[in-house]
Amino acid sequence: MIRADPMLTMTTRRAVLGRATLLLGAAGGLLLASRLPAAAQAQGSQADIAFVRSVAGQITSILNAPGSLADKRAKILPLIDQNVDVNGIGRFCLGRYWRQATPEQQQQFLDLFHHVLLNSITDRLGEYKGVKVTVGTATPHGPDESAVSSIISRPGQPPTNVDWVIHDVNGQPKVADMIGEGVSLSITQRGDYSSYLQRNGNSIDRLLAAMRRQLSARAS
Amino acid sequence: MPWRRAAALSALAGVALSGCAKPPPDPDALADFKATNDPLEPTNRFFFSVNNTLDRYTLKPVAQGYVAVVPQPVRDGIHHVLGNMASPTLLADDVLAGKPRRAGTTFVRFVINSTVGVAGIFDVAKHLGYPAHEGDGGLTLASWGVPTGPYLYLPLVGPSSPRAATGFGMDIALSPLNYVPRGYGLLTLNWGLYGGGIIDTRAQLLDQLDEIYRDALDPYATIRSLYRQHTASEVEAIRQDHRMTTPDWYTQ
Repeated sequence: MIRADPMLTMTTRRAVLGRATLLLGAAGGLLLASRLPAAAQAQGSQADIAFVRSVAGQITSILNAPGSLADKRAKILPLIDQNVDVNGIGRFCLGRYWRQATPEQQQQFLDLFHHVLLNSITDRLGEYKGVKVTVGTATPHGPDESAVSSIISRPGQPPTNVDWVIHDVNGQPKVADMIGEGVSLSITQRGDYSSYLQRNGNSIDRLLAAMRRQLSARAS
Repeated sequence: MPWRRAAALSALAGVALSGCAKPPPDPDALADFKATNDPLEPTNRFFFSVNNTLDRYTLKPVAQGYVAVVPQPVRDGIHHVLGNMASPTLLADDVLAGKPRRAGTTFVRFVINSTVGVAGIFDVAKHLGYPAHEGDGGLTLASWGVPTGPYLYLPLVGPSSPRAATGFGMDIALSPLNYVPRGYGLLTLNWGLYGGGIIDTRAQLLDQLDEIYRDALDPYATIRSLYRQHTASEVEAIRQDHRMTTPDWYTQ
């Protein structure tokens, strides 16, 4: 995954917008605006920004409310199922081993992976009260994804830059990755799994067992 | 003696070259092997476990004690002083990376923070529109197009690469404190800064490293991936830095 070049995209977008304005003038009709790719893209990125703002807002309001951490995690889990492309990220993280896994192994992996993602995301947002997410702008990220920037501030810690990578699954926007200070959650997770598998005889059952151990150690 | 430290490090790196991993025969596994670019993995893992043991019994408890005893504002002040003392080296790195505007920011930050910021305790410059930025010898070499090379995990230093290790040596050579005539006062200051820098860095990483050990199945591979990605993004940040010489409030 290569990060979108913000300066370049700014310039191209400005150029596209400039051309769009000229075209508009020539056509003399505002109706054209909605059909232009630039305008459509701008609308799409507005929708992505709104989506990230809503997801981040829901998660932070749960984290900032009173209650035990276990309760909060139970409340966040359905939000992740609903708004994060868990299956897509899971397949990416298993890499070439996804094809080697039996359908049962794939299903077990995805079930465990839901909880792994919950941990990763709450780790990144922090499990403390007082977390605040400021959502910034959207830039294209690859052919059909966009990256929405945000700044996460937690009390007593320096603010971190986190980009939310968004793509559409069946017409619904979903979080496809989180990139914190240039570090991608899914690429890191993929490296962890592939290294573990290589050192454990490429056995997917051993990976599943290790994931179970890790999750139960964390839950206790 | 920083020079002697660097010499010892390069000697150890030479020893490390003897423990190589064999490329796997399977094409998919070979692609992974090449992407990971960690031919010294067995040696690296050995130093990783040595460092972890040392860390568990020495550095981590010290960093935890430091966080428990010293209040956050004081720790912030110490962090700023250490950063300010490293400014001359950063300035040289900015210049060598061919980024005069970054160098200008570093210079202005040093002047403002050393004076108004009371010897660097307060980061006044940040609030005046001159925020801090990352830079070191390794990143400077990267800006010249030097490739990162295979992954190295060095004893005491941690995740590195031939490029970063060379840059580390450059930074020691560029540090003006190493050229002032020797005396006990300076020697103490130099060691104090060095030790303070290590504790400050470890304290900043307490939560992050705990999270890695809690969540990762293979912490070595996870740290390798994090280090690589983070370095790549820092290199990209330098490459994309086309900042204006004047702060934001001046042009707006």
